[in-house]
Amino acid sequence: MGAVTYPEANVIEFVNNNMIPIRLLSDTQPYAKDFNIKWTPSIITLDESGKEHHRVVGFLPPEEFIPAMMLGIAKVSFDLDRFKEALAELERIIAEYPKSKATPEAIYLQGVSGYKSTKDPKPLKAAYEKLHAEYPDSEWAARALPYRLIS
Amino acid sequence: MAEIKWEKEMDAVLARAKREKKPILLDFFNPN
Repeated sequence: MGAVTYPEANVIEFVNNNMIPIRLLSDTQPYAKDFNIKWTPSIITLDESGKEHHRVVGFLPPEEFIPAMMLGIAKVSFDLDRFKEALAELERIIAEYPKSKATPEAIYLQGVSGYKSTKDPKPLKAAYEKLHAEYPDSEWAARALPYRLIS
Repeated sequence: MAEIKWEKEMDAVLARAKREKKPILLDFFNPN
């Protein structure tokens, strides 16, 4: 990460503008134990209180790093019931990074966030339809399968 | 911007995150 991804100008700009970054050696205590670190890199998104919401283990190339971090930011908002913020971040991932490996999960979470913020199930069916049409082999298409039955 | 502005202390990170209302990127790495 330090040699390939973090020196990229768009990665630098994204991190400095949108997150508070910290790098720790993998044996730094008490954090390595607290976060159960078994392999590196382990890239974790925390909320403002230090609670974990998203984790990626393994190398992320520059083109996957930003959408992966955006998904982490969206999950922080989702978990804290800030669905409007989550939806804004998820829509950016879907629009700006359609080829990212993070995007099918973003579509799934968009459907769930839409449902939870309105109690209208239509966003769940819309998520299924988009995943089925555009990402049929993703695990998120499979997870959305029950939503095909929504009328 | 030449590089990511990594913090070194978790207490400083948490204080900044609360002040700036931003999520935290925590990267555990092995330099070897």
